Amino acid sequence: MKKKTLFLFLLIGLMAFLVVGCGGTEAPAPAPPAGSGDGDAPKAPGFDGEIKLGFMVPVTGSEAPYGKDMENAAKLALEEINNNGGVLGKKLVMSTADDACDPQVASAAATKLISENVVAVVGGYCSGATLPTLKLYSDADIPFVIAAANSTQLIDANDGKAFMINGTGLHQGQKAVELFNKLDAKKIALVHQGDGYSEDLAKITGQLWKDAGNEVVGTEVVTKGEQNYSSVVTRIKSKNPDFVYWTAYYADGGLFIKQLRQGGYTGEIVVGDGSNDPKLLELAGKAASEGVFVTTNPLVEYMPVAKEFMDNYKAKYKQDPGPYSALAYDGIYLVADAIERAGGIDSKALIKALDDTADYKGLSGIISFNEDKTLVQSNFVLLKAEGGKWVLLD
Amino acid sequence: MSLQEIILQQLINGILIGSFYSLVALGYTMVYGIIKLLNFAHGDIYMVGAFVGFVVLGLVSGILGAGWAGIIISMLASMLIVGLLGVGIQRVAYRPLLKAPRLSILITAVGVSLVLYNFVMVLTNGEFMAFNTDLSFAGIDLGSVRVTYTQMILVIATASLMLGLHWFINKTMYGRAMRAIAIDQDACRLMGINVNKTIALTFFVGSALAAAAGVMAGVYYGSINFFMGFVIGLKAFTAAVIGGIGSIPGAMVGGLILGLLEAIGTQLPMVGSEWKDVFAFVILILLLVFKPTGILGKSEIERM
Amino acid sequence: MKNLIAQTRLMDGIYKALDNKLIRYGVYLLLVTLVILTPLFANNYVLEILTNTWFYVVLCLGLNIVVGYAGLLDLGYAAFFAIGAYTTGILSSVFGMNFWLTIPFSIVLSGISGVVIGGPTLRLRSDYLAIVTLGFGEITRLVVRNLSITGGASGLIGINRPTVFGVYLSKINHFYYMFFILVLIAIFVSYRLYHSRLGRAWQYIREDEDAAEAMGIDRVKFKLYAFVIGAIFGGVAGSFFAIKMTAISPETFIFTQSAMILLAVVLGGMGKIPGVVLGAGILVLFPEIFRAVGQSRMLLFGIVLIVIMIFRPQGIWPDRRN
Repeated sequence: MKKKTLFLFLLIGLMAFLVVGCGGTEAPAPAPPAGSGDGDAPKAPGFDGEIKLGFMVPVTGSEAPYGKDMENAAKLALEEINNNGGVLGKKLVMSTADDACDPQVASAAATKLISENVVAVVGGYCSGATLPTLKLYSDADIPFVIAAANSTQLIDANDGKAFMINGTGLHQGQKAVELFNKLDAKKIALVHQGDGYSEDLAKITGQLWKDAGNEVVGTEVVTKGEQNYSSVVTRIKSKNPDFVYWTAYYADGGLFIKQLRQGGYTGEIVVGDGSNDPKLLELAGKAASEGVFVTTNPLVEYMPVAKEFMDNYKAKYKQDPGPYSALAYDGIYLVADAIERAGGIDSKALIKALDDTADYKGLSGIISFNEDKTLVQSNFVLLKAEGGKWVLLD
Repeated sequence: MSLQEIILQQLINGILIGSFYSLVALGYTMVYGIIKLLNFAHGDIYMVGAFVGFVVLGLVSGILGAGWAGIIISMLASMLIVGLLGVGIQRVAYRPLLKAPRLSILITAVGVSLVLYNFVMVLTNGEFMAFNTDLSFAGIDLGSVRVTYTQMILVIATASLMLGLHWFINKTMYGRAMRAIAIDQDACRLMGINVNKTIALTFFVGSALAAAAGVMAGVYYGSINFFMGFVIGLKAFTAAVIGGIGSIPGAMVGGLILGLLEAIGTQLPMVGSEWKDVFAFVILILLLVFKPTGILGKSEIERM
Repeated sequence: MKNLIAQTRLMDGIYKALDNKLIRYGVYLLLVTLVILTPLFANNYVLEILTNTWFYVVLCLGLNIVVGYAGLLDLGYAAFFAIGAYTTGILSSVFGMNFWLTIPFSIVLSGISGVVIGGPTLRLRSDYLAIVTLGFGEITRLVVRNLSITGGASGLIGINRPTVFGVYLSKINHFYYMFFILVLIAIFVSYRLYHSRLGRAWQYIREDEDAAEAMGIDRVKFKLYAFVIGAIFGGVAGSFFAIKMTAISPETFIFTQSAMILLAVVLGGMGKIPGVVLGAGILVLFPEIFRAVGQSRMLLFGIVLIVIMIFRPQGIWPDRRN
């Protein structure tokens, strides 16, 4: 190697080490070690130390609005908990790491949180990104409360230290089948976006439908960002299903619904919880969105108990809470509750406390866990679009 | 729907998709022809065009409403503004690198793409904007086959733009200069052609076309977002190459062919929507293996 | 940017010092020692970043052979990375094969795909080659997304990690060293290739194809060698990626990934090993260092990229032979 190059290599190598070593954490001051409890942690006024949680959501990228919304709700929960004396007398704090809805970025985010010695992690919105982090948290003995991500693949990847508080793809598929039966459908078509979550939901629903002796006329895949779905629309239209189930996200979903109607499809349309957003209706337009169903976890608007949450969120953030805010809020509260029940932050005790959660009343529903750490009672409901707004069915 | 109706509908679909691909592919091919750059930022120019059109429409719709009048104004405005943006980008990021290794300018184009993409992402907070227009779904129905008036207008608009470009390239002095520079830049300089100005003009026209496509996409699909340039960038690039990169008629043809391949592929039983992109790419690759310069590309003995 | 004159003067002083071969090797040793000792004082996050860096270094060195040495524009390099990862993933998860046994399969399969992709297409003009390689990249990604043996859109999960000399690879330290060893191997192989007859043939082809042909060099054959060797680098890197992540999905192998690897190679300075290593380092470190910037970090990256390319189009640390 030439000397010039060698020198530069050395210089940059040193710089890199220094910068990475010092710039590893986002906070200007080193974070107080979580769980040391007594002498080491700086005393927050009135508190006996700190307990640190990790929060992993997409804060950048196309899913950022959801991630930010969840973060807002989580911070609200933190504030409330701390105003009520914290957890076991300690202040509850949270460190957010961005997973950008990408598996590699998520793994880096997970490692970062693990290195910050968080007591537990709440979060997970994109199933595909959340999947690889399960093993990372599990190997580090950190319980993970998965707030929104709900692909059934997560169940398979779960070593027993992750807890899914959103209804899974299975629950949702069942709800969809319920809807199909309600309206006497015989043939359905499924459309997904080729990512883990939407494919999972489509496959499960298809399987459930076929097991009941009915027909799936087609399972179509569209590319995210493609915008033009006319050929898929034509294909679906030519098979004449009673229902089309869009299991992917709202951005492309809005366009898809619009094009379905534009193309002359006259059957029913239902979307999955990934498309649960008033923006879906806006993008589809008033005409096309009329009568569209959605299988989703309950929106806070429909839960009287959540009114206070809604008002507080609105007051603090000057906007309405989004569809996953309740889950994020519940996630934080659940962990806080589990820490209190476990009497400390020891991971084994905490995991057991989470496992033992029985009939915990969260905003999003009643939380108890199965063997596979999914909800005992599905929280999915059906909504229908009327006049550009979602209205509760049932 | 009968089989004939299905096929007809898919052909119509293919032409519509293909029109968009062609418009964007033209920009790729023009820039490549003149400075041999694969402009990866071009898909993002399309996206920026859609947003500029969106903003202008918002401003104008108060006075003119969000019907065709407003749309045309916003499209023209977007073409002008984004055309100038293209010139600006070329001046700042590409011109300094014209004598540099080819890969360097390619990577700079990636950099420009990142800047445009992320800038809009940050600006819009990742949100999707609904492009609200007062257009209906009305159209002609031939049995189960449906063509909406909007679709027809868009195809006609695209064809007009392409015709306009064809005239420009072949009948005007500027167009001739562009073609000459594509063949031999140094000779042109010696003959007194202002090479830099012509390159700038090329970027202007290419970007304006992409912006037009972007506004049309916004109008037609009804929604725009920072991500929309990504897929069409890849597709248009593919289309430009299928047609023969550097060839303007090639880009037009390539776009249509790609659109048709995708529509037909979606309908084919073995292929379907799952495999349609694989189908299109496989055919593309086979085509290139047997005709290495694309459909209308110039057959030259090329050095790398 | 630093004052260039002062920088040059300082550099001149140090060059004189580095003229001494002893000092040079001493610096190598120092660097390697630094790397080996890092896990003792750095936290897991830093190790994760560095491990990622080592991984990208291997990938970039592989692409460097294709792009830098042989001058072939490959826009679908992620395909080989995917093939290696999925080969290991499937053989390990579905057939329960020992990880070390999957590596030869990975090498063979990525090598074959290099031949399949390169064989009919390497005689194409570079821009057409670009689109063909891009096409293959997309085809590979879509194939693994659609087939159920590759786990569909969710990908493969629960890929088992192997044991090395009795140590079960699970902690970040393990992967840090494992990947660093890969880096050393990759650097060694790249270095030997560069100085071999093969490397010189590539250089002739890159600089003047006609003269090379006149000297009796079969262009297509040599380009194919480069392509296949590059493919194998990618495949092996992919296999190790699979066991580190334990879960792989098609999203990792999108076109952006290929573009980023190419970016790193060009940014760092094509052709020369230190440049490529630097490029890989920047690619990984930049987004992490600037996490605090939040949403705008990739915007910043784009701007920095443009600036660097304008002022140093040959890359930060290019091959002096160019």
